[in-house]
Amino acid sequence: MTDFAADKPGKSRRPDLMAYATLSLISAFCAIPFFWVLLASLDGNAQLFLSWPREWTLNNYVRVFAEEDGARWVFNSLFVVGGATLLVMVLAGLGGYALSRTRAWWKQPFLYAILLIRVLPPTALVVPLYKILLTLNNIEGNLVRTVIGGEHARAIMRWIGFIDGYLGLILVLATMQLPLALWIMKTFFDGLPRDYEEAAVMDGATMVQRIRRVLIPLALPGLAAAGLFAFISAWGDFLLPLILLSSPELQTLPLGLFRAFLRVNTIDYGFLAALAFIYLIPAVIAFGFARRFLVQTFSGGVKG
Amino acid sequence: MVRSTYEKRVARQLLLILSPSLALLLAFVIYPAVYSVYLSFTNEALTGAAALNPRFVGLRNYSRLLNDAKFWNSLFVTFVFVIGSAIIGQFVLGLISAVMLRRHLAFKQLFSSIILLPNAAPEVVAGFMWISMLAGGENATLSRIVMFFGMTPTDWLQTFPLTMIVVVNTWRGIATAMILLTAGLSTIPQEVYEAARMDGANPSQIFRRITLPLMMPTILLYMLISAVSTIAVFGLVYALTRGGPGGATEVISIYIYNQSFTAFQLGYGAAVAVVALVISLILGIAYVRAMKVQV
Repeated sequence: MTDFAADKPGKSRRPDLMAYATLSLISAFCAIPFFWVLLASLDGNAQLFLSWPREWTLNNYVRVFAEEDGARWVFNSLFVVGGATLLVMVLAGLGGYALSRTRAWWKQPFLYAILLIRVLPPTALVVPLYKILLTLNNIEGNLVRTVIGGEHARAIMRWIGFIDGYLGLILVLATMQLPLALWIMKTFFDGLPRDYEEAAVMDGATMVQRIRRVLIPLALPGLAAAGLFAFISAWGDFLLPLILLSSPELQTLPLGLFRAFLRVNTIDYGFLAALAFIYLIPAVIAFGFARRFLVQTFSGGVKG
Repeated sequence: MVRSTYEKRVARQLLLILSPSLALLLAFVIYPAVYSVYLSFTNEALTGAAALNPRFVGLRNYSRLLNDAKFWNSLFVTFVFVIGSAIIGQFVLGLISAVMLRRHLAFKQLFSSIILLPNAAPEVVAGFMWISMLAGGENATLSRIVMFFGMTPTDWLQTFPLTMIVVVNTWRGIATAMILLTAGLSTIPQEVYEAARMDGANPSQIFRRITLPLMMPTILLYMLISAVSTIAVFGLVYALTRGGPGGATEVISIYIYNQSFTAFQLGYGAAVAVVALVISLILGIAYVRAMKVQV
């Protein structure tokens, strides 16, 4: 008999076969594609389809880091996404606090506006974004060449360039994650009693002191949640690095993976799977940590 | 109300610490969105004469859209993609998972962890994992599973391209639906169920008369959120099919990309982008209104 209602405490004497069967089917659907990445990455003779390795090896992983630019891709991804995540945490921490504590007229319109900003599809923004960044990059490049001189310009622009440089990608990735992070932090600060800050004000603490001594320690769980969501989303992003990066030495993991797959005639599935697995690990770990915030965030979103 | 100078100073400080976020959002989201609208009225291109000297062309891009079969195709594909994966696939499987996981089961934690796993996979990895499931005709993993049950295999991405991207996106979003619907289910008071059982209601009556109506606000919000995020999907489809074969999976985000970066028609691509922006904004406004946020 089907019971779609909620749990029935103490009534389940025999195992609920239907629930087990349904959940097993859904779980199989969810899990099977992962087996290919795992098994093929450990297979000396990997195929595109799922098969049990005849020859177990770690050679694919070694090759990612030794023969190819794998280490470079991993570094670039960690650096860019890590940078964007830190930036998001700082900005959303400050902004979320302001949004929670202010009673100014712009608060409500702003909160609605950032909900709507979250809705805009990034693909619809990338062309103008590319043009804006290109303009900024040219201005900056001229400035760097004038002030510092041409010989170091390229190396410097790699770090602080808006196009084909770390800085541009970090800023844009961070901006895309900001709306959600601001909402998370605003909601989080709403839940923090003002007593601590008021006590600090009584003691004559300045705003900077209040933020450093009182608010940051209290806000850490919220910052962790905002940071995790930003990290997961930016780590998975493929579109922005695809548009904004062209130099091989700046490529991130999703691009490396895509390039590896595009070598049509000589697709090396073991290598591809190892690379994909390496790309997968930080996302799964971050997601594991984010799990306990997920329900709060979503239900918080429902209740406002 | 008279505000003290102290309060005014605090208000200014708060605006000041919000301003870096504000600046980034203005520079990299709001301005590009407005710029997109502007571009859609020009014949801007990435190469050729129009690249050097773009002209204002009025509504020409939009009138071209009306007669562009590929544009209508991309709208249709997007519609099927959103309805199929977000509104039906993810919702149904997410709701079943959410309801089942509220029962007293062994391995509950294990089941929910596995169901959450696809959501953690970056879009490109998800694409490749599914290529391993689908590509390769009779050798594909799915073909082998299907043959095990005595059915005929096929070249999945060639034969059912649109269905396949719907399946893959469903796979990726079950977790979100499950989490959101679990949260919704947990807000229904247990007493309501007990009262209904006292009155002798059977499980399907309880589901239709109590669970569903009380869940409606959550369901509506879920549908708006997932529709909006599905319209934005790019990497997953790009890695799987790049819009092919023959435009069969060319969702609107892929069409924008192709027009802008493959055909180099920036102005025309921007007109398509504006359509996507408007659709998303309408859904977004509906979402904000449905949320009735207390800010």
